[in-house]
Order: sequence, then C-alpha cells, then structure tokens
Amino acid sequence: MLLQRIHVEKGAYYDSVTLMLVARELQSMEGIEEASLNMATEANLKILAAAGFGVSDIQAGQSDLLIAVRGDGSVLEAAIEKARELLKNPPGRKSTPGEYRPKSLDGALSMLPEANMALISIAGRYAGDEADKCLDAGLHVMLYSDNVPIEKEISLKNKAKEKGLLVMGPDCGTAVIRGVGLGFANACPTGPVGLVAAAGTGLQEVHVQLARRGVGVLHAIGTGGRDVKEEVGGITFSMGLEALLCDEEIQVVVLIGKPPAPSVEERILRILEGGKKPAAVGFIGGKASGDKPPLYLCRELEETAAVAAALANGKDPSSAREELFKSYERLKEKAAPMKRKGFIRGLYSGGTLCYEAQLIATGLIGSVYSNAPLASEMKLADSLKSRGHTMVDYGEDEFTQGRLHPMMDSTFRAERLLSESQDPDVGVILFDCVLGYGCHPNPAGQMAEAVEKARKKAGGRIAYVAYVCGVDADPQGATEQRKILEEAGVTVCDSNAEAARLACYIVG
Amino acid sequence: MREMTVSELLKNGPKVINIGVEQFYEDLKSQDVPVVQLDWRPPAVNSELLSKLHRLRGGGKS
Repeated sequence: MLLQRIHVEKGAYYDSVTLMLVARELQSMEGIEEASLNMATEANLKILAAAGFGVSDIQAGQSDLLIAVRGDGSVLEAAIEKARELLKNPPGRKSTPGEYRPKSLDGALSMLPEANMALISIAGRYAGDEADKCLDAGLHVMLYSDNVPIEKEISLKNKAKEKGLLVMGPDCGTAVIRGVGLGFANACPTGPVGLVAAAGTGLQEVHVQLARRGVGVLHAIGTGGRDVKEEVGGITFSMGLEALLCDEEIQVVVLIGKPPAPSVEERILRILEGGKKPAAVGFIGGKASGDKPPLYLCRELEETAAVAAALANGKDPSSAREELFKSYERLKEKAAPMKRKGFIRGLYSGGTLCYEAQLIATGLIGSVYSNAPLASEMKLADSLKSRGHTMVDYGEDEFTQGRLHPMMDSTFRAERLLSESQDPDVGVILFDCVLGYGCHPNPAGQMAEAVEKARKKAGGRIAYVAYVCGVDADPQGATEQRKILEEAGVTVCDSNAEAARLACYIVG
Repeated sequence: MREMTVSELLKNGPKVINIGVEQFYEDLKSQDVPVVQLDWRPPAVNSELLSKLHRLRGGGKS
C-alpha cells in the first residue's frame, strides 16, 4: 500500500532548479512513486492537495520548503533524509571544478570589470533589491524574476532612466542583444530587424517565424508585460524603441505585446512615426487596424513576422499578409478527416502563445476559460479544473512561485495532459513546446510520453495538436522535437496561430 | 565610469553578471559571452524587516 509524507524544512531557500534536480533523484529511488520539492506557497499547497497529498494540517509559509513523497512506507523516511543530504550538495550542477564563484556583486565586478549587464533570476521577493544594487553599479538589468511588486518596478525603471540604463522586466524571460540570446531565447540568425516586446513568448514566436522566412534579428529588447500599463508608462519600451530607431544597423522595427494602455500606445506610436523606419506593430488582439505605410498594424504573431519579413525583403507586406491568411483557410481541409466532438483543452508554457490561442479560438468557436483569460468573466475558479473550452497558462505567477517555469520542466503540465485525456467531454488537446536556450533539453519528449500513455487509455477519441516554437540551431533542435511528437501521434503545426486554428476546425 | 547608454550596449554586446538560474550562465558561456556567475544567497534578514526595525528604533520614516 502506498503511503505519503510531507516534511517541512523551515526557513530554507533553494532555487527551483536545485529543487527539481533533488526531486528527480528521489523519484529514481526504489519504492518511491512520487516526489516533489517546492516552496510552501499557497499555490503549491493547492497543487499538492490536488495531487492527493493531505495538506490541511501543514504549518508552513512561503519561506519554508516542502518535501513531499509518496511510495512504499518503508522508504519514505530514507527519501526525506536523502533529500536533506542532497540539498547540502545539489546533484547535476555543471560548474567546472575550481571555478571561483564570487559571493558579492563587488566581487563579480572585480572579476569582470567590463560587465555592462546583470541577468537576475532569483525569487521575486529578493530580485528587486538586487536589481537596485546593479543599477547603482551602472549595469543594465534584465530581470527575469516575476512576483516583483509594480511599485518596485516603477522605482527601478525611473532610476534606470535617469542613468540612461535599461531595466528589461520584471518577468522578462527573453531578450537578444547583438545576436546573443539571454534567458529563454532561440538560436536564430542575426539580421536587419530590431524588436521591442512586452511579451516573452510573443518575442520568441516572432523571432522564430522571421527565421523561418530567412530574416534575422540583431536585437530584441524585452520589457516585461507590465511595462506598457498606464502605471509604468512604457518607460523601457520607449527607451528600447528610441535606441533601435537610432541604430543604423536596424532597417525594420517590430513591436510586440498585448495592447498597451491607450496613453502608452499613443506615446509609442508617436516615437515610431518620428523614426521613419518601416515597422510591423504586433499589439496582439488590439483594436487598431489599417496600415499607414511604412507602419503596418497586425493582430497576430505570425502575421507580424510575415509583414516584417516582407518589409526586410523589399516585398509587399499586404500581399504577404493575404497569403498567410489564405494558408490558414486551407487548414479546414486538413481538419476534415480529423473531426472530433468535444471541448479544446490548451496547455501552454508560453503566456503570449496562450493569449493568442484564446483570441483565435474565441473568434472561431466562442469564449474560452483560462487562468489568464481575455475577459474576467472567463476566469477559471480553480486553475487546476477545466470547464468548457479551456486554455491554461502554466507560466502564470501562481504556478511559478518556488517551482520551475514550465518551459524548463513540463512534468506538471504533462500530468494535466493525462488527466484531461480522461475527461469524456474533451475532443482536442492543444499544447506548445518552446525551445531555445534556458529551456528544458527535451520538452517534446516529456509531452510525448504523456500523450502515449493517454492514447493507451483514450484510444483515438482525442486529437492532439501542438506547436514547436524553435529552430534547428536551438539546443533541442526543432526538427528532432517535431519528430518526437509526430511519432507519438501528435499533429504538429508550423505556428502558434496555425495550431490554434487547426484545433478549432477539428471540433468546430 | 561603468555606465553606458542603451545604444552603447547594443553596439558592444552584453557582458553579463548572472544572478540566479545557472542554466542562463551556461547558455551565455556557450555563446562565447563574457559572463560571471554570482553565488547568490538570500540575505539573512530581509530589507523590509530591517526598515521596520529601523522605524521602531526611531530611525526616521524610511
């Protein structure tokens, strides 16, 4: 009989990668069925409860670590002990023996006096203060961490602006500076395009779709999603855009994000118009439409890339857009032999990809429930329980506090794929696999394994549709990742917009 | 003076102090970018608590 135990380690901080590595070690122990190590946030307690662990009498806060194990009763104690030992000396670290790691920013700066940027990805409650110190030291900052209060974001950005420094983020997962990928970035070629993006996977999708069309990107400046809200005022977005407009190597500018606050959008478009460079503006789902050459307003990510590629290649952007939408129409023929009854369940690691998929699906088959919905009335009461057509963004803060981002580990998402497959009302399961630096070495493998298991139970009742956001030069290799999914019976599409449409046509 | 403008950053490319996820450090090294990994640990006392204590001791408004 399987037993379970949760051990609370008070006041213990570990980064999410360490926790994942230790959990994997425990899972490989004889007699252990399930093991997880997470900080005791409210969301993580809820997730443990949903996984069948008794959490009602757990006394722990977000600074405490939970070691949860399930398996043969005789090995549970040993597993917890092993976890505590491993935490002292985490497994799988790649650090070169003898390589010195400075313990302070001053120490780091004396090792690399020419440093010009800090990449910060520690827990959000500490990240703001560290960013402050880095700005004081004259460094540009990329703040990958989320869960940083908006007041802190505003004060950091104002301080940075005074100094002429950039603060990309918080919650900025991706950037490219002079062809160098920072955070989650794809290994795409460099070229004449410069991007500013308030949307991490939106940036990745446009980067990848430009590469598919043979067009490279020199810089892609991430801002974090909140930058274009009224409160922050687009400080980083404006600074990034101005720098690209002044950069002689940049011939085409691309802007990406959810629609900014009206005052911020107006400011950004005014700067853009003053710059007189051809531009594709992809404020996804925005109301603005109608091209004002050399500015082209787009509503989807692949469309933005198609228009920008045409601009870079000296072709007609309007025809490029028209051709793309004609190709989407042909998906109806592809869907005809795949018809299923039931709802779509979308499981996303990319927030902007989830958002775009909801926009497309809402237009084609009606409203979609989500933990990050288009409209507040479509918000799921419980992010772990789907209803109707549902699309879940696993990169939302609720899932990433004290837990790895789903682009780094899809274990949790793969479990959801299995449970969704058992729901008789489901017709299509739709998901993304985002590749690139920083991402899991084999996300397709993680998802394909779950699809294979699910198909054994559900047979052909459910169609699986996916999009692999990546290129062959990425560490995971896009062609290889597609093949893994296709061999598991997944239909793999060429863009996020295409995958969302195909899913709709299958059930529609 | 270390500070350089955004345009200078774009022209010179990034030289990075990585604070956090070690994978990002490895990825930058693999792209031949000058990078140092900081061995970061949370402060023993958080700054919010420190400022509350400061206030309690009559140290001003901050």
